[in-house]
Amino acid sequence: MKKNLITILIAAVLVVIFALLLFTFQVRQSEVAVLTTFGKPAANNIDQPNLYFKWPWPVQQVYRFDQRVQNFEDQFSPNYTKDNNIVLASVYVGWRISDASRFFQVWRGGSVTAAQQQLETMLRSASLAVFGSHNLSDVVNPDPSQLKFEAVENEIKAKVQQELGANNYGMSIEFLGIKKLGLPESVTQTVFDRMKSERQKYISEAQFKGEAEATKIRSAAERQAADVLANAQAAATQIEGSGVAEAAKTLSVFQQNPELAIFQLQLKALENSLNQKSTLIFDERQSPFSLFQNLPANTPTK
Amino acid sequence: MSDHDHPHDHPHPPETQDAGSQALAEALRSSFVIVKFALAALVVIIFAAGFFTVGPQEKAVILRFGRPLGEGQKMLLSSGKLYWSFPYPIDEVVRIPITENQTVKSTIGWYATTPEMEAAGTEPPPGPSLNPERDGYVITADRNIVHTRATVLYRIDDPRTAIFNFTSGTNQNFNLAGVSNAVLNAVNNALILTAVRFNVDDILTRDVAGFQDAVKERVAELAEREHLGVAIGDVQVQSIPPRQLKDVFAAVTTARQNYDKLLNDARSEENRILSQAGADAASITNAAESARTRFVTGVESDANAFTELLPKYAGNPNLFAQMELAKAMTQILTNVQDKIFLPQCADGKPRELRLQLNREPPQPKSAANP
Repeated sequence: MKKNLITILIAAVLVVIFALLLFTFQVRQSEVAVLTTFGKPAANNIDQPNLYFKWPWPVQQVYRFDQRVQNFEDQFSPNYTKDNNIVLASVYVGWRISDASRFFQVWRGGSVTAAQQQLETMLRSASLAVFGSHNLSDVVNPDPSQLKFEAVENEIKAKVQQELGANNYGMSIEFLGIKKLGLPESVTQTVFDRMKSERQKYISEAQFKGEAEATKIRSAAERQAADVLANAQAAATQIEGSGVAEAAKTLSVFQQNPELAIFQLQLKALENSLNQKSTLIFDERQSPFSLFQNLPANTPTK
Repeated sequence: MSDHDHPHDHPHPPETQDAGSQALAEALRSSFVIVKFALAALVVIIFAAGFFTVGPQEKAVILRFGRPLGEGQKMLLSSGKLYWSFPYPIDEVVRIPITENQTVKSTIGWYATTPEMEAAGTEPPPGPSLNPERDGYVITADRNIVHTRATVLYRIDDPRTAIFNFTSGTNQNFNLAGVSNAVLNAVNNALILTAVRFNVDDILTRDVAGFQDAVKERVAELAEREHLGVAIGDVQVQSIPPRQLKDVFAAVTTARQNYDKLLNDARSEENRILSQAGADAASITNAAESARTRFVTGVESDANAFTELLPKYAGNPNLFAQMELAKAMTQILTNVQDKIFLPQCADGKPRELRLQLNREPPQPKSAANP
């Protein structure tokens, strides 16, 4: 009896497993499923992860879709701006299947490739329209208040979203941004030429400005040095003047006998003036050479 | 009399049924044993199949009826343990190749090159222009062109979002390709948007760090806005001028260095001039001080000498004067370089003297200096 119970239990487990496989299906966190009954899709999407009941094929069939955000990028293509510039742009978009039942019906067999082809067409058209309503300075500008880069992105996103909604494609846009921005190949060469001349300007500017600045610094230094020396000279004169003033206090001493004082000054002046590198020509009338007058004449001998 | 005529009541099974039934029963019994064993083995196999481990470069998530078990980082099962899950369709184990830090490299703003060339330090020769299909670059705010690329490290902050909300679009596998692609596009967008806000010189030289910070800020902002479930870490941005203008950009750098050198030289000259002026000024004032002291002291000593000499002079002024003069002449004649004695003419007439005022000795004439 006990042996039979175990057998029945094992058989029941296997039957349950088989039944689960046949009559249930699992929807994962990342998925959304569409259940068809004799080929007709149900209106409700199964987008919550769980285990669901179904009748086995051919009564009901499960179609699963990835409901995660999918990345898509369009081609790097030219756009014409309002001020007649050509800007190449590539847009990336994060999109997801928002209505799997609708997506399944609109795109044959729920083909993501077909949906993305349509998405690319819409992105292209929206990019052309939005860039065409903006100047180049709206997307390239050093002034943040003038830059409308994000506004351009939002406008493209709004246009695509509007079209997706209007056509009820079962898709939605989560985010959109510009992935790449460029100029036509011929324009890049013109830009290079301009950049080159700009660099040449910087080179000469640096050279001339450097020389001018250096001269300015040197001349300012020289002027400052002259001021310093002039001040020093003034100070020196003042010092010397104060010396003279101090010396003048002793003038009363010399006033006792101006004749002697003058004689001494003359004597000192004579000593100072007839210092080295001077030539003195004198004759016997000059003291002390007057002594020569009394010498006997040196008559030549015959 | 028969040999079996006594009455008895024990049953006697039919001889024809016995052998066949017994064989069948035996076969069925043994078959049931085999089936039971097989069923038991199947249950054991199903149970044992539930055990799993996680590799070192991956994480695992158990989906119960499609829903991940656990929240946040607890959702991710790491290596080093033995785990068990129910068989499908109750549980499903998904493995995600994930390391602590993920890296994306944006090269949409870089010229066409290959990893091999990068490793070898070579690059393809630049053409006269940039082919938009092949060469990447960004446009700057002053409408110039530069090459720039970024390497961004990020980590998965919210696994439920990063793994279960993004796909690479190729299949329904679980991996980080989808979110990695989204992060890469955020980096691409950040490079472009930041470049159109910065001037070329800011990107290349003047504000390299500012440009890098702005790129990082934009990537983090997009990661949050697009709900990528990642935290942006280190962002490294490298920018260079177009290779077509390499020489002229280098010349600007040289010119700017020369500019700095000129200014540095001038400042050094300025220091020298001012230091010299300071020293000269100090020298002038010191000399004045010293002259003042000398003068005052000299005058004082003269006054002292005068006071001492005055009585002697008053005694015999003429003699005193003659003596002083003679004393002075002694000193003068010692110091004088040339002394010429010119005797008086015998007839008493004055002599005529011609002085050659140039003291420099005449240079000897030579062929080079006729």
